[in-house]
Formats: sequence, structure tokens, C-alpha cells
Amino acid sequence: MAAESLAQIQRWMQAVIQQPDGDGSERVDDVILPSRSLSSRDRLQIYANAYFARLLEVLTGEYPAVAFAVGEEVFAEFALGYLNRHPSTSYTLAQLGGRFPQHLAETRPPCETDAPDWADFLIDLATLERLYSEVFDGPGTEDSAAFDLGGIAPEQWPNCRLIFAPCVRPVRLRFPVHEYITAVRRGEQPTPPVAATTHLVVSRREYIVRRVAVSADEFQLLSALFNGATVGDALSQWFAETPNGTPPIQVWFERWTAAGYFTSVTNAPG
Amino acid sequence: MSLQPHYFPALGFGVGLRTVHFAHLLQQPARVDWFEIISENFMDSHGRPRSVLDRIAERYPIVMHGVSLSIGSTDPLNHDYLRKLKRLADDTQAAWVSDHLCWTGVAGLNTHDLLPLPLTEESLAHVADRVRIVQDVLERPLVLENPSSYVTFAMSTLSEWEFLSRLTDATGCGLLLDVNNVYVSAVNHDFDPVEYIEHIPADRVVQFHLAGHTNCGTHLIDTHDGPVIDPVWELYRLARTRSPRAATLLEWDARIPEFAVLEAEIAKARAMFGCVGWAESSSPTTSVVTALVGLEDSAHPTSTPTVPHPALCVAAEVE
Repeated sequence: MAAESLAQIQRWMQAVIQQPDGDGSERVDDVILPSRSLSSRDRLQIYANAYFARLLEVLTGEYPAVAFAVGEEVFAEFALGYLNRHPSTSYTLAQLGGRFPQHLAETRPPCETDAPDWADFLIDLATLERLYSEVFDGPGTEDSAAFDLGGIAPEQWPNCRLIFAPCVRPVRLRFPVHEYITAVRRGEQPTPPVAATTHLVVSRREYIVRRVAVSADEFQLLSALFNGATVGDALSQWFAETPNGTPPIQVWFERWTAAGYFTSVTNAPG
Repeated sequence: MSLQPHYFPALGFGVGLRTVHFAHLLQQPARVDWFEIISENFMDSHGRPRSVLDRIAERYPIVMHGVSLSIGSTDPLNHDYLRKLKRLADDTQAAWVSDHLCWTGVAGLNTHDLLPLPLTEESLAHVADRVRIVQDVLERPLVLENPSSYVTFAMSTLSEWEFLSRLTDATGCGLLLDVNNVYVSAVNHDFDPVEYIEHIPADRVVQFHLAGHTNCGTHLIDTHDGPVIDPVWELYRLARTRSPRAATLLEWDARIPEFAVLEAEIAKARAMFGCVGWAESSSPTTSVVTALVGLEDSAHPTSTPTVPHPALCVAAEVE
């Protein structure tokens, strides 16, 4: 047999580490030497075991509430399926779990009713746990001066677009999973909550992730602003969809400002 | 090309910076001379890890130690990664940048493991070419570590120490001699660790690593989850006597204890050579170098331990 190139050996070794019984596994004894204590196959298996165990540990670390909800064994099955479909392509493990919520959504069993079910609960859990990771280590505003809306003249308000801090993420969920996640992180043994549409604003201050539950009304206005609407358009849309509403707009804006959701403002063409 | 001493200051005795110790380190001084960081944990961070690093870097020298350079891979070098690596090195004024003699993946994938290379002339030429490119991008010498390994290749024609010696001759790179890895690989591959250390070019050794490992009965795994064992201390004594200027670092990446335990463990290294500093502990118990090879007596784990990855230790802090 002609000498194999380094590239060939590396492709072979990676394949048999990821799939120990897959193609190429019959060549282990030709490529790997035995030691005094272990066969060639046993030696290579150390890497195969470590590959999955290490990445499972990373995913468990990022998704402790999903892991708690389904149990260790099922979570390992989820992780194996995910890693087979989405093996790491990044130099950083911070990206490893990035598509896990989407993977759960794509591989979930069919819905049997219109009501949110167990799969929806798990997807919501994963969505929020991933959001926590992204906000925790993503860009923030800790080094910036607080932004004050008080300097905006009243006549400028309708055409203003508020620029959100990069660490602010409004998210609508089907279950109050934030409370479940907090309980798991505290080492408690929570039971899954009943479905209830939940509106959260996830943000970060002083390098700690904060999550605040808000009303549907408040979430609707904040989301419109977050998605780039001017203040005037966002309010018009809000009143159109909530004709009998009387929103405590000033209270909301004071709360959002105090929480550091905004970094600046731009004026849209009038 | 010879090593330029000004590139590699004599840092003394340090430990790895891990997130579980952040709160402690922000509140009180550490009884260590310097910190080593895992580069990948900080190069994209805009949150608390990076903020803490910046504060630590104001008070202590920093060395960057990477796990994803993949210097031995036949995939193209990741220049985006290299640019970020350089930027972090510049920002933290890192004393040097190190990684491992290994590959982590091919075909665009990353196994996040430090996989061994077949030690051949082809591998040597390939790695040397890439070290030169990396050094050009980083604008500083690269430092490479001998990894722990669990397999050897039938096609290998060089010993690891010969490979490293020729690599550093060819490229001018420095060496991070992980004494625990020498011991682990010596047991796993049936070679003499003393012979290994005596053949490493002492003037190229910039840094030592010390760590604990796990004895699985038939082999050792480099788990970084406990104190340094006596035979490794003895190898360290030999290695540092040959390279007295090289810095020493203690790694502890799983079952990480309180910071005081790390301080006490690295103090043993300092005391071993009578260095002035923080040391309060006695030197480790002695054993003979001739008894180094073989599986030390200790309880074997009932399940296969996971080879640790220090880049695991970042968890979001949520209020």
C-alpha cells in the first residue's frame, strides 16, 4: 500500500473518532500501533469517547434546564443527534450550541393539538438559555455613559427612532421558562410550568444578564421600537391594535431608560 | 534562528486564569507571579470574562495559551482566528502566545480535541511552514506545547522530542514543555520520560506546565483535575534544572478547587528551587527518577474520565 499523506490520515482519524464503527474503522490496526496495555482499537476509542463526552459537557453547561427537564439520558440523545447534524465548525466552543434551539424545533415530533406542548416547552427553554449566553458575553454598554431621553424636544418625538443597546433582546415565549431556568440554576427541582404566553426583555447591566417579564401591551410597543419603527409609528400601531388601551407610556419609557435599553436616538425624515 | 530572550521574559510561577476564581481575584491579590489565559475564552468576549481579564492584566503579566490554532491540520490556517489572536495579544500585552503541537480537525470541522500527528518528515515540513506563517501574522515567536497523547502511528519515523527539536531549529519557535504530558505519554507509549526531557533543547524551553492526571489502570488521561504527583515533580525538577529561566504554570481545569489550593500547589514548585516569593509550603516528597515509568498506585476511576477542555468553563451569570 502506498504511503498515505498527512491529509488522508487526518480525514480518516477524524471520521473514526466521530463514527467509531463507520467507514474506515477496519483499518485501525494498520494505522495505530498497540501499546503494552491497550489494543490499537482501544487506544483510538479514548479519543472517540472524549469527543462526544466533551461536547456533551459543553452543551449541558449551556442548556442545564433542558438537560434537567428531559434527564441525562435523553439529553445525551438530543446532543448526539445535534452534533451529528451540526458538528462544530468554529474555533470557539461558544458557538457549539448556537443552533440547538433551532435543531429542537426542526426535529420535534408533530403537534397533536393547537395548544403548546412538551416539545414547545423544551424549545422555549433552549431559546432562552441560548439567549442568556449570547447576551452574557456579547457586546454591552458597560463602558458607555447612560443615555437620557430628556434632551429630546417634544416635537421631535414622533420621528425619533430609538437605538437599542446591543444586549437588549425582547422575546415572546409560550411558557414562563425563565422561572424554571432560574430554579434549575439554583439547584432546585422545579416541575414544568403550565403554558402561558410570556413576554421577556433580556438585557445586561454590570456584566450580569437581567430578564424582566413585561405585559403583552408593553412588549408590543417595545418590540415595535426594537424593530426600527419611529416612536410615532410604533404608537400609532399600538393604538390601532389596542383601540381601548390607555398605555402608561411615560412609565414605560422611564423604566426602559432606567434599565439602559437605549443608547441613542436618530431622527427619521419628517 | 535563535530565541531572543527579550521575547520571553522570566515570569516566575503562575496559574491558569479560570472563571470560577474571578470573584476571588477581584477582591484580593493572588500569590502568583502571572496568569495564563485560554485565548479562545477571551478573543470574542465582550462581557464579564473580558472585563475581568482586562483588570487582571493591569496587575499581572498575561500569557495566552490556545487550543484551536490547529497548527498541524491540513486545512488552511484560519486567518480570521489569527487576527483575533494577535489583537488579544496586543490588547493584553501578552508575554507570549502558545498552543499545542496537534491538529483539532479537518474538512472545516473542529473536534475540540488536541489530536496527535503522525511524526514524519512530511508532518514536520508541514508544521514548520505553518509556524512560520503564524509567526509572521502574530509578529512574535510562537510557543508550542507537547500534547498528551493516547495513540501512536505506525507511519511515524521520528520521536516527539526529535520532532520538536527540529521544529524549533527550523522555525525559531519556543517550546512549552508540559512535564505532566511527558509523563502521561511516556506511560501510554512505553517510552522513558527522562530520556525525552534530556533530548529536548533546553535553551528553547520558554515555559513549563504542571498538572494532575487520571490513572485508568491501562493508561493515563491528562485530566488536569488534581494535584501534581511526585513522579511528575521529579521530572519537573530535572527539566527546570536544565532550563532555569523558563516560567512555570500550574493547570487545573476540572474539579477546580479554591484558589488557595492552586497557590499552595504552585508554591511547591517555587520552593523546590528555593525561589524567593510567596512560597510557604514544603517541597514535594521525593521519589527516584528511575521509578518514574509505570502506572502509579492509586484508585482507578470506575468510569472513563473526560479529557477536560479548559474552554468549557464559561457560564452565563443571570440575575
